[in-house]
Amino acid sequence: MSQNEKKHIVQVFSRHINSGQVKYLKAGHLDVLETQRQSVRFIDPVSGRVMIDCFTSAGCFNVGRGNPVIKKAMEEALETLDMGTSTLISVHKVALAEKLASIAPADLNKVLFASGGGDAIDCAIKLARGATGRSHIISTVKAYHGHTGFALSANGKEHYRKYCEPLMPQFSFVPFNDLEAARRAVTDSTAAIIIEPVQGEAGIFVAKEEYLRGLRHLCDEKNIILIFDEIQTGFGRTGKFFACEHSGVIPDILAMAKSIGGGIFPNGAVLYRDRNILVDFVGCNPQFHPTYTGGSDLGCLISLKVIDYIMDNNLPERAARNGKKLKGALEKLRLENPKIIREVRGIGMMVGIEYIHEFLGPMMSDALAKNGIFAAYSGNAPQVMRFMLPITAADEDVDEVIQAIGRSVESMKMLLPIALPAAKIPGVLKLLNSERVQTVVFNWIRSLEDFFSRFNRK
Amino acid sequence: MNHTTTEILNKYEMYFSASHRAVLKNRGHAIVEDRREGDYIYDLDGKRYIDCISSLSIHNLGRRPAAIVEELRRAIQETDQGNFPMISEEKATLAEKISRFVPAKLECTVFSVIRGESIDFACKLARGSTGRKELLAVDGSWFGQTGFAMSLSDREDREMYGPLIPNVGQLPFGDIEAARKMITKTTAAVFIEPVQAENNCRQAGREYLQSLGKFCAKKGALLILDETQSGMGRTGKKFAFEESGIIPDVLVIGEALGAGVFPIAATVFTQRLNRFMNAHPMIHLSTFGGSDLGCRVAQKALEEYERLKPWDNAARAGKKLREGLEILSNSHPDTIKSLDGRGLLLSIDMGTADTALAFCRAAAEKGLLVCPGDVARCSVVFRPSLLISEQTVVEILQAVSDALAVM
Repeated sequence: MSQNEKKHIVQVFSRHINSGQVKYLKAGHLDVLETQRQSVRFIDPVSGRVMIDCFTSAGCFNVGRGNPVIKKAMEEALETLDMGTSTLISVHKVALAEKLASIAPADLNKVLFASGGGDAIDCAIKLARGATGRSHIISTVKAYHGHTGFALSANGKEHYRKYCEPLMPQFSFVPFNDLEAARRAVTDSTAAIIIEPVQGEAGIFVAKEEYLRGLRHLCDEKNIILIFDEIQTGFGRTGKFFACEHSGVIPDILAMAKSIGGGIFPNGAVLYRDRNILVDFVGCNPQFHPTYTGGSDLGCLISLKVIDYIMDNNLPERAARNGKKLKGALEKLRLENPKIIREVRGIGMMVGIEYIHEFLGPMMSDALAKNGIFAAYSGNAPQVMRFMLPITAADEDVDEVIQAIGRSVESMKMLLPIALPAAKIPGVLKLLNSERVQTVVFNWIRSLEDFFSRFNRK
Repeated sequence: MNHTTTEILNKYEMYFSASHRAVLKNRGHAIVEDRREGDYIYDLDGKRYIDCISSLSIHNLGRRPAAIVEELRRAIQETDQGNFPMISEEKATLAEKISRFVPAKLECTVFSVIRGESIDFACKLARGSTGRKELLAVDGSWFGQTGFAMSLSDREDREMYGPLIPNVGQLPFGDIEAARKMITKTTAAVFIEPVQAENNCRQAGREYLQSLGKFCAKKGALLILDETQSGMGRTGKKFAFEESGIIPDVLVIGEALGAGVFPIAATVFTQRLNRFMNAHPMIHLSTFGGSDLGCRVAQKALEEYERLKPWDNAARAGKKLREGLEILSNSHPDTIKSLDGRGLLLSIDMGTADTALAFCRAAAEKGLLVCPGDVARCSVVFRPSLLISEQTVVEILQAVSDALAVM
């Protein structure tokens, strides 16, 4: 693809979708197009550069991109199916429900469908509020959960909330991994505690096992519903099919989406335990959260295939093994570069590195892109880079990622003699860490690069 | 697959709920949806039904429209859903195509996968771009299941989910004087469905919509139309608002955009409103909305909509269906209280919810699938494929007549 063809696409995107997004992406060298999406890679059609996808649409491509088995299933399904009728029963809906119930731990065997992550969270919170007759929801600081009304109300990041307020009352936010804070937040009207077993968007914070056990105990004691948002952590990502299996803590409600669609077809689901309080509510209100596009026939058929694929190929185990290797290598990198990397966190193939300064996020995205790694800094925490490549990744793919990250850190060091001392001048750090300043500065750098590369070609 | 209907229904009961099976049974819909093609679906036992649910106005081009199914088949060989924050040709091209499909003023798109998500985004856009808080909707509305959408909807069960989104108010439907008073300089937006599909297909008249448009413009509030069920040709025009001569600031296009083949919906709005989103990018994200595969499917669907102009057939077939239902309604004044709607979005009022269910049961028996309305539970909604043949219209009327006869 020529520069001009891409320019046209970017112009159309800017005009009809969002020009601010284009600038944001440009700042981190993320304004690439994705062609030839296969397994863990795609190709930037303009530069011809092969990129390893370490973002995977925030954890949607657990089975790899363009997985041939899933594609084949879709092809066959298209011989007879469409989305189906949302109000009717079908073989495919029942088959997926049966499969989910069979793989989920303990008595998490009641099913609701949702159209995606946000919708699944909305469904989960409605179920908790409806079943308990109470309203107060405890969420965690920096939690993500999504953008629909209930999910956004449980979203712990100002960035997403501030222009949309007032959101729903009776949501409070406590620090993650702080059991006492959760205990103090509980009132007589608390309906549920909602938590991600690993906070993704917040910057990869893994919940401690004793924290989760403590929350379970607290919920049992006070008759509160425990909701796990496993939208990013589910489907093998953390080294178990569901992240809750690490601690053995069974939530009352478990929400999933993203990788359930196999990177092909949107779907989502909510599992809840076979407990009277929940079952009775759904029994009295069977249509309390109908979904019009979730649980579609095509979606259920694909989701079923995805689960089989993950199980048949032991992908959770592979995620655990490769994740350990990746984390170990990054930890080594941190020891070598204490002025750049503050911490390495993660579990399974959900690994993040936190930089000393926020402004290093877009800089590192940029350096990684040049080294063939597509990794996004998260809007919720720009100082953290997430590495969530498909869990189908081969050992060599992980090695390649490790080497590329090493090279990126080296290349970043060239800029740091200017940036790091500058960061010490009062006020400059704040300026450097401002998303707007970064966007402007990095766009300016990109224009210079483009200019020189054109100049060189001539 | 060798499943018996009873086996599937029993399993459904086990994993979902016995009461939902009972709800379906009460409606005569405790069947297993199997084969589907064009105007019809078949249950697992091979019985044929005319599909007048269309999955709540999603299958506007009939079941499994060949060109669109084929496009998805092709697209999965070439691409996947893509990384959601990224620029893609698929997203850009679809957004451009949508801007040509709707009135020129509506140039910008944010994608989603369901109506609720589209409405929730519209609420956030309204608050963000106006800097105001108040959201108004008319009574009898039904916008979806997500948080904002539910807060704006007129439903009996809203009290069960605790305090919802604050600063939401209700306008009495059709009352121009009330609207004049209630739409103020603190109002961010007014939401309305031009035809309330779930509320006995009550129609917002031309004068009412024009007045809402005028008041909103005067006070700086946005007029937001939800055309999830009334749009994409269903009422005999591309969009129902065309008859009123107004153009909204924000238009919600529902799942009919994916023609029942792929989940995709859209919120479409003006360049002026997009100034806010351009200044604050990435404050609203959707993982599945704007999937590259979905964009490919929707592009093909838009081509098919433009090629087939199903609104013409919806107007023609809708007129026939309405005339037929009027005759039946006149001959059964005790059962059918009234008839409303236009194009192929029609509804009969059966007086009580029980009668409506009894009718759905009898109709299913006669090979016709229709659902009661979600707001007006005494109503029964007819929303077949927009491409139905004259013959199918005759069959629908025959089934209605037969159903009424056994009630």
